[in-house]
Order: sequence, then C-alpha cells, then structure tokens
Amino acid sequence: MHGACDVNKKSLGIDMTRTLKHVVLAFIVFIWVLPFFALVTTSLRSETASKTSGFWTAFTPTELGHRFGTHDKGDTEPFISMSGNIFERLNEGKDSFEIEGDVKSILFKGRVPDPDNPEKTKLIRQLIYAGEPMDVRGGEFVFQSSGDFTWTFAEATAAKPKNLDAFINQNPVFGPDAYIEVLFENKNVPNALISSFIVTIPATIIPITIAAFAAYAFAWMRFPGRDWLFVLVVSLMVVPTQLAFLPVLQGFSGIASWATSLNAWMTDCEATKTCQVASKSFASLWVTHTAFGLPLAIYLLRNYIVGLPKELLESARIDGASHLQIFTRLIIPLSVPALASFSIFQFLWVWNDLIVALYIGPADSTDLVFPIRLQKQLGTFKDQLHLLNASAVISIIVPLIVFLSMQRYFIRGLLAGSVKGG
Amino acid sequence: MKFTLGAAASVLAAVATLYSAPSIADVCDTPSKLGDLGKFEGETITIMGSMEGNDEQMLTNTVSCFEKATGAVVKYSGSRDFAALIVADLRSNNAPNIAIFPQPGLAGDMAKEGHLTPLGQESADWMAENYGAGPSWVALGTYADADGKEDFYGFAYKMDLKSLVWYSPEQFEDNGYEIPSTMEDLIALSDQMVEDGNTPWCIGVESGNATGWTATDWMEDLMLRTTSPENYDRWVSNDLPFNSPEVINAMEVYGQFSRNDDYVAGGASSVATTFFGDAPKGLFSSPASCMMHRQASFIPAFFPKKGEELDAGEADFFYFPPYESADLGNPVLGAGTLWTMTKDSPATRAFFEYMKEASAHEAWMSQGTFLTAHKGADLNAYATAALKKQGEILSNATTFRFDASDLMPGAIGAGAFWSEMTAFANGQDAKETADNIQSAWDAIK
Repeated sequence: MHGACDVNKKSLGIDMTRTLKHVVLAFIVFIWVLPFFALVTTSLRSETASKTSGFWTAFTPTELGHRFGTHDKGDTEPFISMSGNIFERLNEGKDSFEIEGDVKSILFKGRVPDPDNPEKTKLIRQLIYAGEPMDVRGGEFVFQSSGDFTWTFAEATAAKPKNLDAFINQNPVFGPDAYIEVLFENKNVPNALISSFIVTIPATIIPITIAAFAAYAFAWMRFPGRDWLFVLVVSLMVVPTQLAFLPVLQGFSGIASWATSLNAWMTDCEATKTCQVASKSFASLWVTHTAFGLPLAIYLLRNYIVGLPKELLESARIDGASHLQIFTRLIIPLSVPALASFSIFQFLWVWNDLIVALYIGPADSTDLVFPIRLQKQLGTFKDQLHLLNASAVISIIVPLIVFLSMQRYFIRGLLAGSVKGG
Repeated sequence: MKFTLGAAASVLAAVATLYSAPSIADVCDTPSKLGDLGKFEGETITIMGSMEGNDEQMLTNTVSCFEKATGAVVKYSGSRDFAALIVADLRSNNAPNIAIFPQPGLAGDMAKEGHLTPLGQESADWMAENYGAGPSWVALGTYADADGKEDFYGFAYKMDLKSLVWYSPEQFEDNGYEIPSTMEDLIALSDQMVEDGNTPWCIGVESGNATGWTATDWMEDLMLRTTSPENYDRWVSNDLPFNSPEVINAMEVYGQFSRNDDYVAGGASSVATTFFGDAPKGLFSSPASCMMHRQASFIPAFFPKKGEELDAGEADFFYFPPYESADLGNPVLGAGTLWTMTKDSPATRAFFEYMKEASAHEAWMSQGTFLTAHKGADLNAYATAALKKQGEILSNATTFRFDASDLMPGAIGAGAFWSEMTAFANGQDAKETADNIQSAWDAIK
C-alpha cells in the first residue's frame, strides 16, 4: 500500500472523470430518449390536449381554452333563469378524456356603446373571473370555478344557445384511445404491420445467407482474381439506391411481362383473366433490398471470417472436411455474432425504408409497408398528432424488440473484424 | 388464463362491430340512372393519384358503383408523392391504367413523352357540350404529343372552387361585422378588425414539397381582380412576362394582406411555416386567433370537426369579392383533377364512359366535398347546402379561370412560382420575386 494522501488524490481524480463521463452520458441518453418519450406521451393524450399544448405540460394541471355551449340548439323553451355546469356541457357524450379542474376565467367579447363616441359601438374583449357577473344576450351570466353557472333574465326569454371560451386549469388525463383507434377502427395499421414483416424477414435472411457463402469464399477459397472481385464488391457499396430506380423498375417490368406470357402459356389463367404478373410486388422488394444490402454484408462477414483461427480450418481440411462441411460445421457457428449484428442492421434499414418501398413495392393499399402508411397518415392525420404518434410508437416497438433481444451479439459483432483475433 | 383470453376476444369483437364500415350501397343509388357500360368480369383497372384520406375514401366509394355495374375490379393507390412516382412508373413501363393528374402541367409533359393515350375527338365533343364552360375544360385536357399534334387526353372530374373566404358566423355576430361585397369593403373590414384588437386573417403556405401553392392561389385570385381576364391568359402563356407591372401589382396587393403583421395571425413571418391545413383552425380555436381565411372549397375537411361546422352553422363562407372600382365583373378561380388513360384496355375505356354518366358525378356529390361542371347532374344530389351555394357562385361567375399555376409548365407552376412565393412570404421583394420566376421561365424556353 502507498501513502494515504496519494491514494485519495488519485481516486478523487478518477471519481471526477467518472462523474463527468456519467454526466455527459446521461445528457446524451436524455437527448436521445426525449423524442421517444414525447411520442409516447402525446399518443396517450386527448386530441384537444395534444393539439393545444406541448407534451411537457401533460403531467401538471395546465390552463387550456375550451369552448362550451350554454344549452342545446333544440332547447327553445323560454326561461327566466337557467343553471348548468360547464364540465357537464364539455363532457357531454364523452366516455374518455373527461375534463376536470377549475374554471379560471371566461373570455367575454361583445359590442357596447362607446362612451367617447355616442354614435359608435366599441368592441370589448376581457377576461371575466369566477363569481363576476357578465352580460350575455341581455341576461346576467355568473359562473363558479367548480363549473356551475347561472344565466338569469329579467323576464322569460327564449335565448339562443351561446358558445363561450372558458379557460380551465385542467387536471392531467391519459388514455389508450389513440391506440384503440389506429389498431381497431380500420385495418390500415394492422395490415401495414403484416406487410412490413412480409418484406423485412426475407429481405434480411436472403442477403445474409448469400453473403455468408460469399464471405467464406472470399476469405478461405483460392481462385484467380479473388482480391479484385472483392474490391469490386466493396466498391459497389457507394452506389446510391435512388440512382438505380428507373433501370431496376424497367428490369422488373421486363421480368413481369416475361412471367405473364409464361403464365399464359403454362396455365389456363386466360379463362379467369389472372395472367398478369405484377412488376411491383413484395418479391421485387426482396430482390432490391438483397442487392443493395449484399456489398456491405459481404464486406463485414468476410472481415470477420478471415480473422477466425487459421489452425482450426487447416486441421479440419487435414481431417478431410469439404468446403461445405467446414462452412456449415465451423464457420457458421463461429460467426454468430457477426451474422446477428448484420441482421440487426439489415432488419432496421428495411423496416424503416420508405423510398424503395414507395417506388418498387406493391401499391395496393392493403400491401403498404409501415413507413408508407405513416407517411399517408401524415397527410390524413397531420392535425391529429395523437393518432400519428400512436402509429409511430407501434412501428418503433418491433425494431426495439429485435434490437434489445440481439444487442449482446450486436456489441460483439461491432468489434468483430476490427480487432484481429477478437 | 382462458377467461382473460375470452374476455379480450369479446372486447375485440365488440370494438370490431362498433367500427364496422358504413354501408356504401346508398352512394350508388343516385337520382340519375346508370346506363349500360358492358361487362368486364374479373378485369382489373389500376388507378394512381394524389388523393389520400377522406378524398381517397370517397373515390373508392364512387368507383365501387362502377365495379358493381361491370364486375371489373378497380384498385386505387394514392400517394402525396404522386408526381414523382407516376413519372418513374411511366418511364419504366409500369403504367397504371389511369393516372389522375392534379396539375395539367405534368400531364402535358407526359403526353409529350408519349405516355398518355388520347381519349378521342368524340369525348372532347361530349365534354364541350355537357360541361358548363365546356370548351375551356376541353382546352385544359388538350396537350401536344412529341410531334406537336394536339389531342384530348385529360378528362376533368372533381373540381374545386378557389375564390372563397371562410369565417365563423358566431365571431362575426359577436363582433358586429358584416359580410363585405366589394374588395374595398373587405379591406375596410380587415382594418376595422385590427382596430378592434382582432386579427383578420389566417394564412399558411407550408405544404411539404409543394410549399407555396396557397400563395399562388392568392396571387391568381388577385390577378383576376386587378387586371383583365385576357391579361390573365397572356400571363399563363408567358406572353405577359412575369415581371410586368400588372403581375407585380397583384403580388404587391397580396403582400398588403400577407406581409402585414397586423393582418396575419402569428405575424407575417409565420406565413411560410404554417401548414395550409392548420391555418383555418385559427377560426375555431378558443379564443379565435383570426376572423377570415381565404381558401378553396376543399378546406372544411381540415376544420377541427372535419367540416361538420358548416352544418352546425359554426362556419360559413363568402365569395372573395372583386374591387368595385376595377369593373372586372365577378371573376372566379377554380381547378379540377384530370383523369388520363396511361394504359389502354376495354375496361379502362368503359371507365371513361362511366365518368360521362351523371350518376358517376351524383354518387360523389352525395358524399361531400366534390363540385362538378356536368350539366346533367342533379344539383339536389349535393351533400350539403354549402356545396350547393358554391355551385351558385360558380354559375354567377362572369369570368371563370383555371388555376394559373396548374396551367403553367411544371417547372414554373409546380416549381419556381411556389418556391419564389415562399421566398416572398419570407420577405423577398416583389420585383425580385417576379424577376426570378421570369428568368426560371426563360431558362426552360
């Protein structure tokens, strides 16, 4: 052991840097988690609340404006005095997100004779607080912060209903209504979930299978031009997907018309008019995602596989194992971290892909993938944040589960290939 | 466990029955009877367009009548990125049967590339005769092909009326305001509102990659109110340059509304960043943030209660009035979607015949926001009194002109005009804005 003073200084220094690290880390986590937190909060709020105030006001009583009518349009009975409750009026016909709290004030608007200019009238806009009387359609209107109001006239009057703006200090209220609406009101979101799985699962498995074979060949098989071919494959990574849309679509259209004639020749589809093979389909998405995912997949896996212990493979060769046996018995089990980490990558890309699906995927409204459905909701629900956010949360949950369940491979896989013998 | 599963299932079943789709049988039951269109059992027609949400639902309901009559299957796919997608599909030989162009500019470009099939002189003659202001609708759908030969391609179906000002009758009553019948009165009323401490206008031009189109509508409406219809037509064809005094004047008049901090809710700087569909909500917010909103007939779909306000008397509209001093009559600005044949088939031809039927128009009229110039359609089929009133504005018009930005070449009408008007909203000088649009136009000549 060393001098006590020395140790303290040292550990203090470590503590300081560690605390600083934690603060920075906490800050980064906060920035990343905040939007998700906002998304979830908004999806659980009522339509009016999500439209009129920010998500951070959702947890404390917040003053919001609400318009209520004094009575129903059909009620034309003359009355001298009428009483009611603002909350009852507001919550009428609602079975969720009921408004509770204190009525702070009512915004009064109306024209009164102008004291300065007797021929003209003057517009008055002022906040009337609980207990203060105000003149509404010639009657005296008084309300309490509990929401009770009375409306009194000098003689029986068949007053028309009046809509007033009340500012209410409203208690927080949450509910799953938005989720019920997007999941059950129509089949759009459930269909989009299914379509996204139909696209994503094959579009992850196909490239990773091909890439594993290719990576083994590039790493451990000797053939002329191997390195040049590998460089070519790697350089394909820089080709942007957007550049290839037109030729790719033309290609699919050619294949589809060829398949249509084959279909007509082989089967009796002409009788039922079902010969047409669609050029934009789930299969075109699988092919496109596979093609554009392969270069990176081959590159990552090859770098991992080339780092596996040479002695292991050589002794397998000496024992008489074929390439296929080595691949299936040795390479695949040893490469699980790299395979898993790439499949997470590919899964997330394909799951979140909008543009490829938009151009190349099926256009039937039942076959749209989740990002397209969200984009369509942006048009339809742009003003209904709670619904949009509920769908977004549903679409986030799937990749979240995939990521969390595979993250220990992911971290190992990220290091894979970068550190020799790692 | 068994119990909870059963309970969950019964809840699901209850929810499912609660939300089962409303019957659409009554949509097809129109005052006019549908003629014989032939039988196309099992044939599929694919349609691509930009309509989404409510419009998409109404479109699907309407074409279901065609499906019932002929046995054909109609598949519609709508996307906000229609303009980009249709170009890729047409050029890569993946055309749908029918493409619905919201802007004639792009349809004209596609006709030039040879992707559209002419509908024939017979259809053009039919439209000239059976549509109100027929010849101008025919002209709207007539484009030149690669050889410069003009043909009729675009069948106008579903129209919009643009020259409307929306307001809340209750607010007008509370504040003691009257509906203005001239532009002079409208400006006086706006000033009165400012004096009273109210904000007269809600204006928003943000619309994703189409940001600025609301401002071009304002411009066009004001062009029709500050200069002659002939000048308007010359402006559309660029015979009257964009930076000529008439056009700059109209832009400056628009600026008097939109670049006036006292006039616009949220201040003039908010115009460029406010979503056009959010702008009218200011009429109904509590308390109301503005008193008036100039926008086309489709806008009630963006009201907080999706247009129920109109029936409840909480919202109404008046005609965007002309200057009394200018003596230009009652000009009206409008637009229509153009249905074009992009892949020929017998069933597709039958669908174009279907659109000539009054019943096809009435089926959509009965559902909501839809205006038609079809003279044979029964006006009583309109879903609401408001739509009928819009029909009256349409018929009282002394001048009817189509949305100019829709008629200009795509690079201007759906490009420079939009983006420069957004720059104008952000404070760019009117002269500079007009010069920039004109030089963009010179560049494509």
